[in-house]
Amino acid sequence: MSGSKAKSEKSSTPTVAYSEIAVRNNATVVEYCRTSMAALSGCTAGLLGLTGLHGAAFYIFTVFVLWFMINLKAGSQFNKFFMSRKALLTNGFFGQLFTYILCWTFLYGMVHVY
Amino acid sequence: MSISVMTDLVVDPNIRGWVFLPIIVITFLVGIFRHYVSILLSSQKKVEIQQLQDSQIILRSRILRENAKYIPRSSFNMRRQFFNNQETGYLTQKREHTAPTMMTDPNMMTDMLKGNITNVIPMFIIGGWINWMFSGFITTKVPFPLTLRFKPMLQRGIELSHLDASWVSSASWYFLNVFGLRSIYALVLGENNAADQSKQMQDQMSGAAMAMPPDPKVAFKAEWEALEIVDHQWILQDIDNSLVDQ
Amino acid sequence: MPATLFHRFVLIIGFLSLFHAAYSAAQHRSFLRINEQTFTHLPLDIIFQSVGSLFAVMYGVMHIAGDFKEIKASADLENKTWETYRNVPSFYTFNHRGRTFSPFYIHSQHSDESE
Repeated sequence: MSGSKAKSEKSSTPTVAYSEIAVRNNATVVEYCRTSMAALSGCTAGLLGLTGLHGAAFYIFTVFVLWFMINLKAGSQFNKFFMSRKALLTNGFFGQLFTYILCWTFLYGMVHVY
Repeated sequence: MSISVMTDLVVDPNIRGWVFLPIIVITFLVGIFRHYVSILLSSQKKVEIQQLQDSQIILRSRILRENAKYIPRSSFNMRRQFFNNQETGYLTQKREHTAPTMMTDPNMMTDMLKGNITNVIPMFIIGGWINWMFSGFITTKVPFPLTLRFKPMLQRGIELSHLDASWVSSASWYFLNVFGLRSIYALVLGENNAADQSKQMQDQMSGAAMAMPPDPKVAFKAEWEALEIVDHQWILQDIDNSLVDQ
Repeated sequence: MPATLFHRFVLIIGFLSLFHAAYSAAQHRSFLRINEQTFTHLPLDIIFQSVGSLFAVMYGVMHIAGDFKEIKASADLENKTWETYRNVPSFYTFNHRGRTFSPFYIHSQHSDESE
């Protein structure tokens, strides 16, 4: 019972079966994009010499940009590929923060410290 | 303002080329190298034909138990005889072959050893080497202010009490890399995923029968018991009549 | 849309441009340090170049990362053939009379009672 309830929360129609392989594939693609976005935006932040809160703001900005780009890629058939837009934005928000900080520190050190 | 004061601390650019960059490159390459070594060392799990046969038999017996109601009683008894016959049944046969246990199985031991070689030893050797080779440098500065609590974490190997907490020493830079590069590995080594997928495929091919307990005797006994107590009811007895009634 | 040569090209150009921007920024910093000026912000062209190349690289990565698949289970089933459906692994049986025809057949103790 609980399984079907969880399903019906995710979509309006209660009897929609999701293909697990496809869901996992999409999650992998998004995770790939998210990791590269964190690394690249970290590099850019370090390059620009952002410090303190500016860097954090830049991270949030890039997360939103990534969300926007995924929306753009999925296009109008968004519901075909993902369960919800909001989960896509919030999932893994902090997971890639360490990657971001490492790249940020790295490029900041390379460009601005020496 | 404090930041502008602290940037007055001028660091020799040679440190960038000979300490800062080498550490991140070495850490990264060691990670890549470790990945490929672990692929090289990982042995394909070999399945004995006897074991595979046993697991398939158990699967068959389970299917028979679950779907017994769809076949006539005589057919069911015939199939049950094949498994449970006192003398010749598959499940009641005597096996003198004892399965190797965890400690005596050499494969298990080498697998564990390989795991240690690829995971623990690089950690110690490379870490120790980096500590010895690049010790005592200030390498970089994190671009955000930190409290003094982070000083022992970020300034390992440098005992300067007046140094701002956001400077990072070489040893700490190595550890930051070790932990931070993990997701980058996942990005670069897509093979990680590919290996998993092929493994799943293999499991499907063998009918998910790989998960066989090392000792078939126990599984056989349980299956024999379960098959013995099946109460056979043929639900298709009246199928023709009920079909006509409809 | 699968990844094309164009996307790879964009990715590589973006990386090169990002690297160039980083190098320019480092040069700018060393220039300021030699002239003993204080650092306020980077020149505008470097900022634009780095942000622009970030977007270019992201555009390339988005397409190289792979395509999304439809998550509805029914969508996956539409393209399958009848052969795929007929192949039910639970009904596989290898322990039958036909195995004696196999060139790798090993005559085991249980083969005689199965006949």
